[in-house]
Amino acid sequence: MALSRRDFFKTSTILGGTILGVSKKSFAEETEQSIADNWGMLNDSTLCIGCRGCQSACKKEHGLDRVGNDPRYDMPTDLNADNLTLIQLYNKTETEYCFIRRSCLHCNYPSCVSVCPVAAFTKRDDGVVVYDKDKCIGCRYCQVACPFEAPTFEYDEAFPVVHKCDFCKDTRLDKGLKPACASVCPRGAIKFGKRGELLEEARNRIKDNPERYNAHIYGETEIGGTSVMFLAPKNIEFDDLGYHSWGETPPGALQEKIQHGIFKYWIPPVALYGALAILAVSNRKKNNDDNQSEEAGNES
Amino acid sequence: MKVNAAPMNQKIWTPWFTVGVIFIALGAIVTLYRFIFGIGAVTNLSDGVPWGIWIAFDVVTGIALAAGGFTMAALIYIFNRGQYSPLVRPALITALLGYGIAAFSIMLDVGRWWQLYNPLLPRSWQGNSPLFEVSLCVMTYLTVLILEFVPIAAEKYKDSDNAFLKSLANKLGPVVNKALLFLIILGVVISTLHQSSLGSVMLVAVARIHPLWHTAWLPFLFLVSAIAVGFPVVVIESFVSAKAFKRSFEAGILSKLVKVTPWFLAIYGVVRYSDIIISGKAGYLLSGWGLLFIVENLMLIIIPFFMFINQKARTSPNGLLIASVIMVVGLVLNRLNTYLITYSPRPGWDYFPSIGELLVSAMLISLLFVGYKILANNFPVLSKEH
Repeated sequence: MALSRRDFFKTSTILGGTILGVSKKSFAEETEQSIADNWGMLNDSTLCIGCRGCQSACKKEHGLDRVGNDPRYDMPTDLNADNLTLIQLYNKTETEYCFIRRSCLHCNYPSCVSVCPVAAFTKRDDGVVVYDKDKCIGCRYCQVACPFEAPTFEYDEAFPVVHKCDFCKDTRLDKGLKPACASVCPRGAIKFGKRGELLEEARNRIKDNPERYNAHIYGETEIGGTSVMFLAPKNIEFDDLGYHSWGETPPGALQEKIQHGIFKYWIPPVALYGALAILAVSNRKKNNDDNQSEEAGNES
Repeated sequence: MKVNAAPMNQKIWTPWFTVGVIFIALGAIVTLYRFIFGIGAVTNLSDGVPWGIWIAFDVVTGIALAAGGFTMAALIYIFNRGQYSPLVRPALITALLGYGIAAFSIMLDVGRWWQLYNPLLPRSWQGNSPLFEVSLCVMTYLTVLILEFVPIAAEKYKDSDNAFLKSLANKLGPVVNKALLFLIILGVVISTLHQSSLGSVMLVAVARIHPLWHTAWLPFLFLVSAIAVGFPVVVIESFVSAKAFKRSFEAGILSKLVKVTPWFLAIYGVVRYSDIIISGKAGYLLSGWGLLFIVENLMLIIIPFFMFINQKARTSPNGLLIASVIMVVGLVLNRLNTYLITYSPRPGWDYFPSIGELLVSAMLISLLFVGYKILANNFPVLSKEH
């Protein structure tokens, strides 16, 4: 079939969004300015040499365990509760390849924030999407919702916690330091800063070196935009790097619209209750009348 | 509504009951193990597939199949069809057990179960989340179902030798009875809300669910299919209970009951196929997933539709039962497809339920049957035979 599943989601979410009048504005109170002022990261895959210094720095900063019991360190193969960021190699041909980083992208309209039943995920005013284990019930809806597969869960713990990148908010960011990964990268492939400025920088890099870069900035518009954005080498498609075109509508938008519709000022449920109550009482009355006339008929 | 019911007072330990108790014991061991060593120790769940059969089957499918409770209550108390009143109490205890089991299953599945009261705390309220709504609705509805059970318990204990139970029954029974209609309407409203919201839950999973199952109409389709399956579940429940208590299977009254089912199936089918065609997904019907979709639809919609509109099939006990079973299996398939089977895992991950997960699900199903037998045996649930 010519139509791939992903292509379909792209068109259907845009279409569905338009038909139902889902606008990004109704989703949260973000403005263009507030989004530009959010903290963000620009990952430049043309600069990354795959040293994985960011991975190690992240583990150290968050005090996360090694993989397995072997005292010799080995590389993880996927994001998990002990690895909040991961460098992966994409080999297109012998000569065309690049490294791509995975982690939480700190979406402008995060699906995890949208779906979490207990508000364990929130987006701070500075754009950092943070997790609060004291609210979390461990339902893992965030894992179902996140298109970037960022939240991970301690499946092997009796008292598990969800993990994901938090821009090192406790140990660094709130003390005025850059996140660990950005500060150790020897190639400057991870640039930390305000999203608006990073976006401009990304555009300039593409403009200045059109033969070096894929012209697309991933995360500029995808699912409403993300704070962590990516540049890829020319001739390498983001889809092959695992960063798919999910369309511009945030995945949580439709469900939020429906929830807000159902509970608009509590009118629909209360109206339904009222209508059913009237129906029940009038039916009951009718029935009693019928019974009485029947009884009257029997008596006569 | 006059209900003339009586406790069955039959022998409890039949071979099937023993089988159920064995499954409950096995599941209890797995449950204990899960709470000591974590979810990963007994399930095949992973970051790649975070929700397995405990959610897709035990909770989501279970709640859909427990819809008989609210459809039956609505029919009898709101639409005032008193002739069906012998069916209302069995449907009520099925829903009570079904929701109790679903709530227990949620407790097993969530990782941080000791914080499960959090949706009640204002600091955690999250009106954007369908799961927040579902959690509040399930808690409220379970309370409503327990209250709806109070008159049944009061009837049993009103002349009890135990002075405390007797006074409680005589105080509480009349109070709840007075409020019963309004409790029942509350239960119906809550049911429509969370049955549809269970469909909304998967709207966000654009990256995960196959487009044939992922549609903006999910909440509507989940609600209509839950309403539609309500009466066929009552048919099966009546059959099983007739077998268990060696009573006659009341096909006559049940075949009248399912007359309304084809209407809901028609609405469901028209909306589902129109949506597929209008949104340009018809091409998928030719793929392997399309075959699964068609099999599901044959069982959930088409076969039951034609069997229920056919008077001969509907009024014969076998036809009635077969149509109901096919439709229930179709609904199970629909919920599993939406939550699990068409769910595309993270790259490199896979899922098939572990023995532990299957044993826990078997325990929960057994709890339904064992619980039903105990309740119907000890409380005035089933109507006296004429």
